[in-house]
Amino acid sequence: MAADTLNLGDLRLPSQMATKPRKAQASNSVAVDPQARETENELIREAQQGSRSAFDSLVRQYDSSVLRLALHLTGSEQDAQDVHQEAFLKAYRYLGNFRFECSFYTWLYRIVTNLCLDHLRRRKSRREEQAVMMDSSGEPIDLLSNVSDDRSMANPDRELERKFLGEKIKAALETLTPRERMVFELKHYQGLKLRTIGEMLNTTEETAKNTLFRATKKLRANLATLR
Amino acid sequence: MNTTKEGSARSLSKGCETAQRDISLAVYGELPDDASHRLNHHLAECGHCRQELEAVQGLRQAMSLYPMLDPSPNLLTRVRLRLEEALDAVPRSGWMTKVVDRFFNGIARVQSAPAMASAVLLLGLSAGGLAGYHMGFKEAGSAIPPARISQDQDGVNEGLKVADIRNVERQPGSDNVKISYDRVVPETMAGSLDDPTVRDLLLKGAASHIDPGVREVSLGLLADECQSGRQCGDGPIRDALMVALRHDKDPKVRLRALEGLQPYVAQDRSVRNVVLSALLKDSDSKVRIKAVDLLQPVDSDSSVRQALHNVADTDENPYLRTVSRQVLNGLPEVQ
Repeated sequence: MAADTLNLGDLRLPSQMATKPRKAQASNSVAVDPQARETENELIREAQQGSRSAFDSLVRQYDSSVLRLALHLTGSEQDAQDVHQEAFLKAYRYLGNFRFECSFYTWLYRIVTNLCLDHLRRRKSRREEQAVMMDSSGEPIDLLSNVSDDRSMANPDRELERKFLGEKIKAALETLTPRERMVFELKHYQGLKLRTIGEMLNTTEETAKNTLFRATKKLRANLATLR
Repeated sequence: MNTTKEGSARSLSKGCETAQRDISLAVYGELPDDASHRLNHHLAECGHCRQELEAVQGLRQAMSLYPMLDPSPNLLTRVRLRLEEALDAVPRSGWMTKVVDRFFNGIARVQSAPAMASAVLLLGLSAGGLAGYHMGFKEAGSAIPPARISQDQDGVNEGLKVADIRNVERQPGSDNVKISYDRVVPETMAGSLDDPTVRDLLLKGAASHIDPGVREVSLGLLADECQSGRQCGDGPIRDALMVALRHDKDPKVRLRALEGLQPYVAQDRSVRNVVLSALLKDSDSKVRIKAVDLLQPVDSDSSVRQALHNVADTDENPYLRTVSRQVLNGLPEVQ
């Protein structure tokens, strides 16, 4: 392949597979423009002074993305609900300690990722290998049936194959260490910058880069037969 | 030529290691421009790394088969309700929590400005010292009046002494304050001197530091009881008399105590020692003369004899010297 055909600045997937990783809604809702940031800071100050309604507004901004991340990482609605609740209760209790040195999103996700890491570590030590995602009633969730499919044209064989591949990917993700899994999920699914991920996990950007590299290497090795 | 090819292969291998790490970052848009240029250059020459790039791209595509799903509206509603209930159950942070939070926040701010912190600390210490100095002056100048409270009882305002405040709480939403306290209620009782309660009260009166008159009367009554040989023994009344003889500042009280101890002198060595001490050291001559009188019957104790000799020979008081000599002359000589 010639060098000029490999423009990494425009590194794209083949058009037929162009299902970009879902950009985190949380990062969309992060207060990026100054006015939105100031409004959010005002809410935080009010919540710090004891306003419950201000805290509820903060919860509404982030709870969906927190729940989505927890759901994907834990694979269980019940566990995801627990992580969600514990994260916001902690945020409520310790909001007084937030001193605007980083974004509220980073601060909140630091709590969430720590809780998720604890959960993943406990699960690894228990060697719980949940094959499928469970809902709150204990019924398995059919993940892939929820994927919008603009390619398969509802071909049953294709559907079956996709389900099989999905399970393989899930199993491959389970082989990562909790920290590798967290970095990969935050990067691949949430679309966060590695610098931000490093802040959330109390580590450096360089360490986060190395962790992402290890994670992709492991996943590639485990999923080599899929290609 | 061979050497050159091997060197090239080694450098390619090392370059591939870097390239593979860079590829995983490039795919996620995390590779800086300079590293991106270096990677482009490497990929143009290395087929192995081009395959690696395709593999990582393939992995990224494959991950779409295990997507991150949005939580269903039902689930989201459920967790929101659950969280609201949990937040309602969290107690509102009290003033203590707020004070602690503010304290630690303050500490954190102080850490970021040590010079300012030192200045504030010095200022605080100076202000505190100055305030303490002025307060001390005020305290010395005007004693705080004792706590008094007026309570309307049966239409009569009665001044009450408060022994202690047990609890204070402000009534919510008003200026009223609820205070629980213990009152000192004056009471009077009358009874026989043989009544243990009366004796206890007399002992308390004998130790009273408020009114010397109360001490004298109480101790006099107890002394009379002992002199008449009623229920004294070697119990608290004897002890109270001994303490009064040793330490009471009022000579009248000491004298009454001495009279009360008379029945014990012959038999009780500890009482005798206290009386001897009074003979030698008491500042009041009446007490000392009375002590000589008490010791007169004790003719077997050499320490008594020695004390009387000392007084008879060297005491400044001529009357006391004479009395002591007379007592000694009346005692049989000890061989």
